[in-house]
Amino acid sequence: MTPLDTPMQRSQSISMASVFERYGLVIFLVALMVVAAVASPTFLRPANLVNVLTIAAPLGMVVVGQTFVILVRGLDLSVASLMATVAVLATAFKATTNEAIPLIFIAAIALSALVGLVNGWLVAKRNVSPFLATLAMMIILQGARFAYTGGAPISTLPPGMGFLASGRILGVPVNLITLAFLATAFGIVLHRSRLGREIFMVGSNPKAAFLNGVAPDRVVILCYVICSVCAGIGGLFLLGYVGTVSNWVGQGYELDSIVAAVMGGVALSGGRGNVFAALLGVAVLVVINNLVLLLGFPIEMQLIIKGIIIIGAAAFYRTRLA
Amino acid sequence: MSAIAMDIRRNRLMLSYLIVAVLLVLLAVAGGLLSDRFLTWRNIGNLLQQLIVLGMVSLGQTFVVLMGGIDLAIGSLVGALTVFLANFLEWRPDLVWLALPLALIAATGVGAINGLLTVVLRVHPLIVTLGMSSIIFGGTLMYRKEPGGSVPRAFADIAYAKVGGVPLSAIVLVVIFALAGLWLQRTRTGRSIYFVGGDREAARLNGLPVDRIVVLAYALSGLCAGIAAIFLTARTGVGDPRIGAALTLQSVTPVVVGGTILAGGRGGVLGTFLGVLLVTMLNSLLNFVNVSSYYQWVIQGLIIIIAVGIHSARRK
Repeated sequence: MTPLDTPMQRSQSISMASVFERYGLVIFLVALMVVAAVASPTFLRPANLVNVLTIAAPLGMVVVGQTFVILVRGLDLSVASLMATVAVLATAFKATTNEAIPLIFIAAIALSALVGLVNGWLVAKRNVSPFLATLAMMIILQGARFAYTGGAPISTLPPGMGFLASGRILGVPVNLITLAFLATAFGIVLHRSRLGREIFMVGSNPKAAFLNGVAPDRVVILCYVICSVCAGIGGLFLLGYVGTVSNWVGQGYELDSIVAAVMGGVALSGGRGNVFAALLGVAVLVVINNLVLLLGFPIEMQLIIKGIIIIGAAAFYRTRLA
Repeated sequence: MSAIAMDIRRNRLMLSYLIVAVLLVLLAVAGGLLSDRFLTWRNIGNLLQQLIVLGMVSLGQTFVVLMGGIDLAIGSLVGALTVFLANFLEWRPDLVWLALPLALIAATGVGAINGLLTVVLRVHPLIVTLGMSSIIFGGTLMYRKEPGGSVPRAFADIAYAKVGGVPLSAIVLVVIFALAGLWLQRTRTGRSIYFVGGDREAARLNGLPVDRIVVLAYALSGLCAGIAAIFLTARTGVGDPRIGAALTLQSVTPVVVGGTILAGGRGGVLGTFLGVLLVTMLNSLLNFVNVSSYYQWVIQGLIIIIAVGIHSARRK
């Protein structure tokens, strides 16, 4: 809505269409859950719901980061490869006690930040398209990882990693608590801070941002760093869940994180979006995946549905905002 | 656009080609020094034989990128087509004459659908083709999860056939690239691909059928993927849904290495051809000196960054 709208226009806009615009995803999620509950009595069982949420948490962490990058007209295809690389890094300590966990986290975050820095530098300073920069990073990380492991899976991990991934505090999965914490922290940064406003400004109009005294390059680089760090943390939590490091931990998360963000209304053209709506996109995605399994469809069906959803969601939000 | 600006652009493109050509020569010399088997006829023949698959998918990608789009469904499409071909030919080995046109028509059709979706829904091509890739891959997996099928001997031969000592596939590739180059430079429709890639709005205002050109570029990309799939199936003899997985990204590398700008409107098939030669030769050389395929990934990533870095730095 532009500031020029008259009060009358504004009152008109409170219609069915605008309600659907605003809460469409929530309505869709609820409808999906109703369908799931009717289709399979298993769906609403606490065990299944907790299971779904536990699976969703690492993806949620990645989506928080992906949102930052998409907001500045970017895209990060290297997140999944980074998740696996961080997982391999975690095993490199060959630690069997929990004392190593803080060290693992520090190392993982440091590596992730470095990766994000390079991505951001290539995009902001070298004018490389985000697609190519993060694509190249994806391949480079993949090669480095395989060169280190020789392709074999490893499973030397401190026992505490498993607790982080699938343990519970007062019945709530630890990784879900972490996701909530991460999303709130970055949500505040994005929607309530000066930096957040700068990110939206750079995303919607870099030139105007520059003229307003914002350094677009620095903002863009920071967004890539945030994205990589979120992905790195997501990788550690996913690792604990899987237990064994294959070289493909997190495979598919690059597409899934973009799908979820786009479904959550984060505009690929930059400058529009909300972290929490993007997380709602994650919820829709995992419920759909769960539904496919509960209905007994072949798991490949998820790929087809995901493909249709991403095209459909992108088209929906484009017409909505056009 | 003034004639001078046009001239400068052409010269810059020439410079890109020159850089890649020099790299090619350096690579050949390095190969010759590092291994005495590298510059033998036998190895060169092998190299030429390997060109067709990467060459065709990269050519398809070039059309789309020049037009200002990107096609990320190429790999899944090639995988699906090998599955179709190998299973169809296992069922009826005598119907090669029917299987090949069917594969090409299906491939072109899928490409056209990609184009239509970007035009009709006006969704970013990255999203459309990524989504289509997921749909195609899922569909293929529902039909066949594991590699399977077989091809008749006569069909397998087209991958290895030679004409006057030169692999048939290499001749086919060169002819197709030459035709593509002529078409892009000399015909109205071909040139309009550049026009649409350079400035879509301007192209529309000049009365070009922009939507039709977009669909055409994606359809051509599909057709190229079909040709690649035919030779790939002939060579491997099986249909493998996952065989194309790496091809999508590999198809982009020669395009950007050859100086075609990802934003569209600038570049050409000659650059892509040189890029294909460079990538194929580099991989072959790395195999010769026993560099693991893991490091080859690292190197491929670095090449993309360096190539784009060079081209984008020179643009300033």
